[in-house]
Amino acid sequence: MSDWRTYEPVLIPNIAGLNRLETYRKHGGYDALHAVLHDQNTWPDPASVVQEVKEANIRGRGGAGFNAGLKWSFMPPADGRPRYLACNGDESEPGTFKDRKIFEYNPFLFIEGATIAAYAMSITTIYVYIRGEYRSWIHKMEKAVSDAYDAGLLGQNILGSDFSVDLVLHSGAGAYICGEETSLLESLEGKRGYPRVKPPFPSQRGLWGRPTTINNIETLSNVPGVIRNGADWFKSIGVDSHPGPILYGISGHVNRPGVYELPSGMPVMTLIEEVAQGMRNGKKLKAIIPGGSSTPILPAKDLEDLTMDADALRGAGSMMGTAGMVVMDEDTDIVETLWRISKFYHHESCGQCTPCREGTGWLEKILEKVVTGQGTTRDLDLLLDITSQMEGRTICALADAAAWPVRYTISRFRDEFEARCKPSLIPVG
Amino acid sequence: MAEIVIDGITYSFDGKPKLLDFILSKDKDVPFFCYHPSMSAPANCRMCMVKVGQYVKNRETGDYELDDQGERQIRWFPKLQTSCNMDMMDDMIVHTHETDDLVKRAHKDTLEMILINHPLDCPICDQAGECPLQIQTYKYGPEGSRFEVKKQHKPKHVQLGPRVTLDAERCINCTRCTRFTDEISQSHQLTITRRGDKNHPTTAPGTEFDDPYSMNTIDLCPVGALTSTDFRFKARVWEMNQTPGLDITNGKGVNVDLWTRDNVVLRITPRHNPHVNEYWMTDKGRDAIHLYNEERLSTPAIRLHPKDISLVMSSWDNAYQTTQEIVESTDPKQILVLGSPYASVEENGAWMQFSEAILKQLPSYTTHIEKGSGDGFLLVDDQAPNTHGCELLGLKKRTKAAFKKAVAEAKVILSLHDDYIERGWLSEEEIKGKTWIYFGTNHTQMAKAATLTIPITCAVEHTASYINVDQRIQRTYPAKETKYTNRRLDLEMSEGRLDRFGTKFDHWVNEDHKVDCKPLWEIVGDLSLLWGHTLSYRHGRDVLDALGSKIPALEGVTYQAMDDQRGLLLTLSETQEASS
Repeated sequence: MSDWRTYEPVLIPNIAGLNRLETYRKHGGYDALHAVLHDQNTWPDPASVVQEVKEANIRGRGGAGFNAGLKWSFMPPADGRPRYLACNGDESEPGTFKDRKIFEYNPFLFIEGATIAAYAMSITTIYVYIRGEYRSWIHKMEKAVSDAYDAGLLGQNILGSDFSVDLVLHSGAGAYICGEETSLLESLEGKRGYPRVKPPFPSQRGLWGRPTTINNIETLSNVPGVIRNGADWFKSIGVDSHPGPILYGISGHVNRPGVYELPSGMPVMTLIEEVAQGMRNGKKLKAIIPGGSSTPILPAKDLEDLTMDADALRGAGSMMGTAGMVVMDEDTDIVETLWRISKFYHHESCGQCTPCREGTGWLEKILEKVVTGQGTTRDLDLLLDITSQMEGRTICALADAAAWPVRYTISRFRDEFEARCKPSLIPVG
Repeated sequence: MAEIVIDGITYSFDGKPKLLDFILSKDKDVPFFCYHPSMSAPANCRMCMVKVGQYVKNRETGDYELDDQGERQIRWFPKLQTSCNMDMMDDMIVHTHETDDLVKRAHKDTLEMILINHPLDCPICDQAGECPLQIQTYKYGPEGSRFEVKKQHKPKHVQLGPRVTLDAERCINCTRCTRFTDEISQSHQLTITRRGDKNHPTTAPGTEFDDPYSMNTIDLCPVGALTSTDFRFKARVWEMNQTPGLDITNGKGVNVDLWTRDNVVLRITPRHNPHVNEYWMTDKGRDAIHLYNEERLSTPAIRLHPKDISLVMSSWDNAYQTTQEIVESTDPKQILVLGSPYASVEENGAWMQFSEAILKQLPSYTTHIEKGSGDGFLLVDDQAPNTHGCELLGLKKRTKAAFKKAVAEAKVILSLHDDYIERGWLSEEEIKGKTWIYFGTNHTQMAKAATLTIPITCAVEHTASYINVDQRIQRTYPAKETKYTNRRLDLEMSEGRLDRFGTKFDHWVNEDHKVDCKPLWEIVGDLSLLWGHTLSYRHGRDVLDALGSKIPALEGVTYQAMDDQRGLLLTLSETQEASS
């Protein structure tokens, strides 16, 4: 990847005051929506918009990496009754902090993207679910939404067309699980954030039993660009299998942590050494967690030539997740890190399914034993056994998210764990 | 018709049944906790896991794809599936724990997880003995636990409402109770609070769980988390007898099970009847234990002088002879005979025959309908269990005014069950100077005001039938012995472990729990002998048979048929319909 230095950011470009509507429109904002609503030759019907987005292959930026346009095409034909778009800005995974940059610096890009999506799927109401702790970002969004309403960019007859859509902001109440798409719907309905059983999928029975699509904030923010410049432009950015700009959230022991918009498929070492300007205090790199705390940890030796895209990371034994990369230097206590991550998932398990409710707590308690020097090598095998009892046995993926760090951290750094444990010959089984 | 292969056996099916339902209907076992046939399936206990696959078909030809050995290829689902919410499809292959070790392991794993924070206090838990968690752990669970760290502590003995106590540590978070209040009773009083292994059901702050159906959650709870405040720590399940019966606290005719030990009814639980109450009953119906156990009339009693404050015990012979003397010394026109919608068809029938043969009059009755107290579910306006029975027998229905007039004109009144004083229809003043012979079960105000009380068996001491508001005739079984019945000789009575293996001298036996009362039809038979008639009935069945030959609607109605069909729907004639 040589052109990253010359890459012009499109999601959070370096333009002062882009969070003001007039500035945003001056820089081409709302051209895409205008074209979609009025340019009958290019965009004859909503299906043509869906087709273009599908063609662009915007892989969902919330972690699952599913083609957004394909997801839109699952919506049943409009029947005149309400249909919803739920925008997921819950962003609670440790290590992930990209969406708030959009809320802060380019809120109208997201609102425009969501409005285009609403047009494409004949949506009647857009719900934007924002993490409750993002108090000031919620205020920024409230201002942006009210400005968009005043300018006729939301509400009735948008831009003079016969298309109307409402946008409702909803603040979360501090539960990580409400970032899971179906419990987000439950939460929007005013219920307890319990993930729903699938099927039926949200596109069949979503919010209040009506067809609903759930998209990540960053995913929708890519839509205006695709409409304006075409799917081919989008696909020309980054790697082929996972195209487009990515908001890399780099945190941890680097000199310049932060959110960087760069093409997909950036080499991990370039991100650490050049983008984030190297390890803090000249320490040696020990490991990274590539895409939020649930993605399996990768030791430094596996990072040479590794690029940040879904396929490459899967090949290396991890996942792209939200591209929220946590960098750890040689002084990091891996055992304690894992214990802290497990503590998080124990605290956040909603408690609906047995393996997750009980398993997350059990993992944390055993890890606490290991951290305090009470553990035995048998405990490590027990931990691995418990993860196999949790994975794939629950309604949502929180159990997997809790199990993977334990499984991969222990298997990839077993010697460090064993050094903290007393030997034991008692088998686990 | 679609086909499915479960553990190597092919079954055909119609429609889209849920897999768990279907497997259970084939008499196979799949363990589950959160699933309940009449509520939604949240699939949260993760217990009913099965391995599911589908035969691969060629898209073009529609033929099955075959592998090297010529067997049909199977595409397995990547994960184990919960069978409770799995729609059955054609060409599905299912492996349960009987044929698949992975499924067996999954059951073991889930049970291990459920048990790590469960207090394992079975020895002091009310649920022990009828606990799905206990049973399934024995059947499918791990041999021991590998959990060697501290258990999660949660609130204990929380009084959720007047009748339900919560032990949150025992809760396995199946959400059956919250779904019951959301979907069945629709009071929405319960919810789950807190997250992860700290969560448990509770009410909203400042409110209590006083749903009129709240105690159904106790039956639903697959562990001992929700227990009955009243029954808590009273008895072990295996010490009790379980006898089918009916809820007689209103006209719905809810089917119940009566749980007795040493001839005391300790609790009442609903019995499944898809035609009447499904799996549920009212809390009021469970309160009937007090009616059956406490303040019972035992041994006839007589007021020797009108000014005496209390009645004195009498012998049965003396009571009968006194009745005869009173009746014979009175002008038949000044005698009033009252039947009761609280008494069974058999009792009212025998009563009617006695009255017609000896007193030459048709008994009358009053209904007890409270308009507006029904809720369209199990609470109904009719507060008596057998109003339709009285109608069917053709007893004379009286309004309050007509009843008061008849009482005022009568000198001698023979009445059954009803407590007119408590109901406010009569004052003690109004019956001063009258001779009131009361045939009843409890020390009601009526009994206290009567001249002569003759104790009769209550609904849990005899076999008799009741016709509910929907005109369904259903019957009871004897659950309690009287002084004159014997559990070992009466083949209709259930015999619990203690009855069978205990002896008369065991410390748990108390003869005082047997009430000195007789079925009304026996009393009527004994009385009629004094007049030279022989209305000899030894059993409710004799009365029912006799009524069957007189009343067309009851023709062919037998206890056997009621048992087989969960009660029989009668067709009452137009006139009777109209008069109701």
